[in-house]
Amino acid sequence: MTDATPQRATEPGVARDGPARRGRGGDEGEGMDYLVSLPRRVVTVYLPLLVFLFVLLFPFYWMVITTFKSNEELYDFKDFSPFWVVHPTLHNLHKLFFETHYPIWLWNTMVVSVVATFLSLFCAVCAGYAIERLRFKGSRLVGMAIFLAYLVPPSILFIPLSTMVFSYGLFDSKFALILTYPTFLIPFCTWLLMGYFRSIPYELEECALIDGATRLQILVKIILPLAVPGLISAGIFAFTLSWNEFIYALTFISSTTNKTVPVGVVTELVEGDVYHWGSLMAGALMGSLPVAVLYSFFVEYYVSSMTGAVKE
Amino acid sequence: MKFTRRDVLQTGAGLAAGAVGSRLIGSGSAFADDMMSFKPEKGAKLRLLRWRRFVQGDETAWVANTKKFTEKTGVEVEINSESWEDVRPKAAVAANVGDGPDVILGWFDDPHQYPDKLVPLTDLAEYLGKKYGGWYPVCERYGKRGDEWIGLPLGAAGACTVYRQSWVQDAGFETFPTDTEGFLKCAKALKAKGHPIGMALGNAVGDGNSWLHTILWGFGGKMVDDKNKVVMNSPETIQALEYVKELYETFVPGTLSWLDSNNNKAFLAGDVAATINGISIYYAAKTSDDPKMKELAKDIYHVNMPQGPVGKPTELNLFTQAMVFKYSKYPNAAKEYLRFMWEADQYMPWQQAAIGYITQPLRAYEKNPVWTEDPKHTPYRDCVKNMLWNGYSGELGYASAAAMADYIVVNMFAEVCAGDRSPKEAAERAAKRSERYYRV
Repeated sequence: MTDATPQRATEPGVARDGPARRGRGGDEGEGMDYLVSLPRRVVTVYLPLLVFLFVLLFPFYWMVITTFKSNEELYDFKDFSPFWVVHPTLHNLHKLFFETHYPIWLWNTMVVSVVATFLSLFCAVCAGYAIERLRFKGSRLVGMAIFLAYLVPPSILFIPLSTMVFSYGLFDSKFALILTYPTFLIPFCTWLLMGYFRSIPYELEECALIDGATRLQILVKIILPLAVPGLISAGIFAFTLSWNEFIYALTFISSTTNKTVPVGVVTELVEGDVYHWGSLMAGALMGSLPVAVLYSFFVEYYVSSMTGAVKE
Repeated sequence: MKFTRRDVLQTGAGLAAGAVGSRLIGSGSAFADDMMSFKPEKGAKLRLLRWRRFVQGDETAWVANTKKFTEKTGVEVEINSESWEDVRPKAAVAANVGDGPDVILGWFDDPHQYPDKLVPLTDLAEYLGKKYGGWYPVCERYGKRGDEWIGLPLGAAGACTVYRQSWVQDAGFETFPTDTEGFLKCAKALKAKGHPIGMALGNAVGDGNSWLHTILWGFGGKMVDDKNKVVMNSPETIQALEYVKELYETFVPGTLSWLDSNNNKAFLAGDVAATINGISIYYAAKTSDDPKMKELAKDIYHVNMPQGPVGKPTELNLFTQAMVFKYSKYPNAAKEYLRFMWEADQYMPWQQAAIGYITQPLRAYEKNPVWTEDPKHTPYRDCVKNMLWNGYSGELGYASAAAMADYIVVNMFAEVCAGDRSPKEAAERAAKRSERYYRV
């Protein structure tokens, strides 16, 4: 942050702000120098960061400690603090992995999410490129219509979709989800990729056209390599939405062995009004890990594509 | 679904006990001549969607009975289960789409939302009623549309007042009172001794609806009259609201956000001296490996939910019934399956394996030993007998289901307890909300 000071000082806007800053923070008060003093940094940087960290991480912490708590500790607030574990146990994890179909649900969720994501990305790339670059009559309207389709809530769509799923004989199979998830994934991915494609200069395509490249070659060899951050971002988003999806998975799947994690966990670990909290939290924790790992690997691409898309 | 040898042995023991029980009520071979039967279609296969087990014994016994049915008739039955709150949307989808499970065990007024999609079960229901001492009146309300049975009542997951005997006696009461006035006095005395009570005031489908409807009706208040006219904004409703407001002063903090599981947790943690719930709290304590919980189980007692100034039971309990859909290719097989499962030889062992979670819809099953082998089970025996129906005293249908799904009654009480509205304002608002549904 201190490195930024000399650069910023040369910018006209910052120079104009100079006196005002000096008025507040003394004669060195330029750029972000006001963060130099420790108390200010604590108040403006560290404290808000800590608050954010607490808000974001506390649910994970709660999931972790509940996963390793026994029922005795879970229900006894008088002898045990609710904020940490005194006698950790693996019982909840054992119950989750060996007394339910959790590993199968994880596998189902993975298959459905990965296939639906790739399918949606393929469709979104074709749609996004066509709308942004082919510029056919009504392309703007199509782009807008696709975006509006994203706004239709699944709770309205699931009944007509059920009719189709039953008609095609897909009920209670992974294909029921693989083919219905793109109904909300494609609009979002298309919208995101349209923004990203717009940020890629036309000149590159024009050069390729002059060199005799076809549209397909341009898409595959020029646009897609440049759009990798956008693709990753759309992919992560699509994967996360598929991973957490509940209502279609609940409606279109019946057999225990075909269920996904969000539905399976609720079905198996809630018996009437008795919630098996330890195993439920273990299920939520284990279920959130793949998404967390995915984010941690691609977070830079993700951020860059989001800012790239939004800029346009 | 897999079975261990232990499951089979346990179920065998349950079935044997049930067979003894069925003789106790005079069924079994005595009814051999009095047996109705539906001839399953050739090559019939059935799919059943039911709510997820409340206790393991329920599912094990249900599956064992189904296996017996398959051995006897050759009709295979695939059983799928969903979390109990998720069965209703799935049933609605099946009804609207015209495809799905042949038989669904739904809740409350489900059959009345799509009556034209269901196979009439009048012959079967009349046969069972005649054979097993008749259906309780509320079952006829829930099961019949006009003169036709469209659902086959399976029973209700009943709710009672669950309390700590030692604390109640310490507060000067022998048992927990079963009238609203005594209930309030006891709650105040417990609070004074440092033992608050607590009931769900959040959007709890089971517990919230059960106890608050019971109180509302107990004071003579109701959402609609016999002609489906909204009469929520009445002096009786306001009295009920004032009562609950006063009762709320004796609650442990946080009940406004309680859902179905919260009171279980609070009771087992020793945070409350009493609550209104199914038998699950007692069962959890009794079957726990923790000695402290076992000790707690000895101190847990039950009485029926309180009666209000109207002077008769006005309970609402989680009511479940079977529906056979018209799209099923095998309606006869479905009816035969239901007949088989509702017969004493199957129903009683299943009810016993479910350790009293489900109260019977047929009077003869009152004699099931499950209600007397542990006297603490006994109050749950009368839950269906004491029941009124959702949307009392109007018709069952779209409006009654939608009003419950929108938590109009629960929210009305919660608004008063939270101090957001006066009883008068809350009743007015609830009446307006109800009119939106009953106008359709």
